[in-house]
Amino acid sequence: MRAMGVVMALVLGGCTGTGPVLSPHLPHGDRGTTVELRDTPFFAQTDYQCGPAALATLLQDTGSNVTPADLAPEVYLPARQGSLQLELIAATRRHGRLPYVIKPRLSALLEELRAGRPVLVLQNLGLRRLPAWHYAVAIGYLPDSDEIILRSGTTRRKLMAAARFLRTWENAEGWGLLVLRPGDLPSQVDPLAYIRAAADLESVGQTRAASQAYAATTVRWPDNATAWLGLGNTRYHLGELEYAEHSYRQALRADPGHLAAHNNLAMLLAERGCYPAALDTLDHALEISRPDDALRGTLLETRREILRDRSESDTSAGPDCTLVLPGIPGPAASD
Amino acid sequence: MNSTLKRKAGIYALILQLVIATFPPTALAALVQTPDAMAAEERSASLQQFNEALAREDVQQQLLQLGIDPGAARQRIAALTDAEIARLQNHLDTLPAGAGVLEVIGVVFVVLLILELVGVTNIFSKF
Repeated sequence: MRAMGVVMALVLGGCTGTGPVLSPHLPHGDRGTTVELRDTPFFAQTDYQCGPAALATLLQDTGSNVTPADLAPEVYLPARQGSLQLELIAATRRHGRLPYVIKPRLSALLEELRAGRPVLVLQNLGLRRLPAWHYAVAIGYLPDSDEIILRSGTTRRKLMAAARFLRTWENAEGWGLLVLRPGDLPSQVDPLAYIRAAADLESVGQTRAASQAYAATTVRWPDNATAWLGLGNTRYHLGELEYAEHSYRQALRADPGHLAAHNNLAMLLAERGCYPAALDTLDHALEISRPDDALRGTLLETRREILRDRSESDTSAGPDCTLVLPGIPGPAASD
Repeated sequence: MNSTLKRKAGIYALILQLVIATFPPTALAALVQTPDAMAAEERSASLQQFNEALAREDVQQQLLQLGIDPGAARQRIAALTDAEIARLQNHLDTLPAGAGVLEVIGVVFVVLLILELVGVTNIFSKF
């Protein structure tokens, strides 16, 4: 999209000064400290396959065993002679890691490096009109010489002048990817974006990984009902029903008007055989909902199905439904 | 409407046509999945960003230069349906996560994308 390239230049451009590039983006007390993540693995790229090499580097850094050869069929597009960002993101998920694209800001990149996280960066080593795309892994920086340290191509330790790095990175829209173990949060993190990333993991079937990611969000943002809902849903799918119920209750503590949490809690209560409690939950949700709420239909249908189940069930020996599940050991200390 | 804008509008139309709109699931007794529950939250976050964009003086200048009435644009944004917001969100999902709409894709792009969504001819004050 040409327009996008133009506005990106407007937004990010203007870095043609002759002063140091790095130090204005480093914290005040820390402007001389070098950072180098020496333990980051290295895979020399073959042919045009810098995408698989760079992603394998980050995946192995998080403890995965995957190699570039494993990844190439997943991400390398022979017709394009390269990999697309979306393919790298999808492959990251397939290997049970959470992909998080950082803000297109040098300060964000440097902060992740300081936190010990290498960053997969896209660079345009050519011209804007004649791009030469390249994936590399940023592993550190040298403020005194104003350089960025990269694992790049066939070079294990490539030093690039920060000004040049910034130009090549900005010409690639400042695209930088973190590959996170589920449960690890970036240094600069937007809750909605991270929860969305967890939901994307969930929707490709990486349920355990998504659950761990949601759990981390409930620790960091205990009042975020969506995070608790995600935790509940993933625990449900993993068969951890008591944990799931606990999570839904936490969602309702965080947001008493959360219709989805009411619905899902009611379903769990019904599965336990606690039909009156289930129906009470749904009735309350319907009462507080607005007439145009998208979830009303779901609530009504859940109610119908629970009534059906109740009529078909043997209610002679029910569970103790007065028991609100005791505080289950979990990420949140409260409750 | 000048030809550059027509061409841009055409490009955005093509992009959006390539984005598959998902409709809300028919009512089933099933767990409400997390992405669906997030829709409302993400909708209000998107709307807030759009409105903040429209309130900016530089955006309004840009709109006026393109011959668009900012007030009409704001009204149309406020009336965006869930499906339209979802389509926009799908597109924005391909952009870096965690970056605000304005930071990443620039004021002008926001304006042009919104134009495509709301139907370009509706809010032009001159042709």
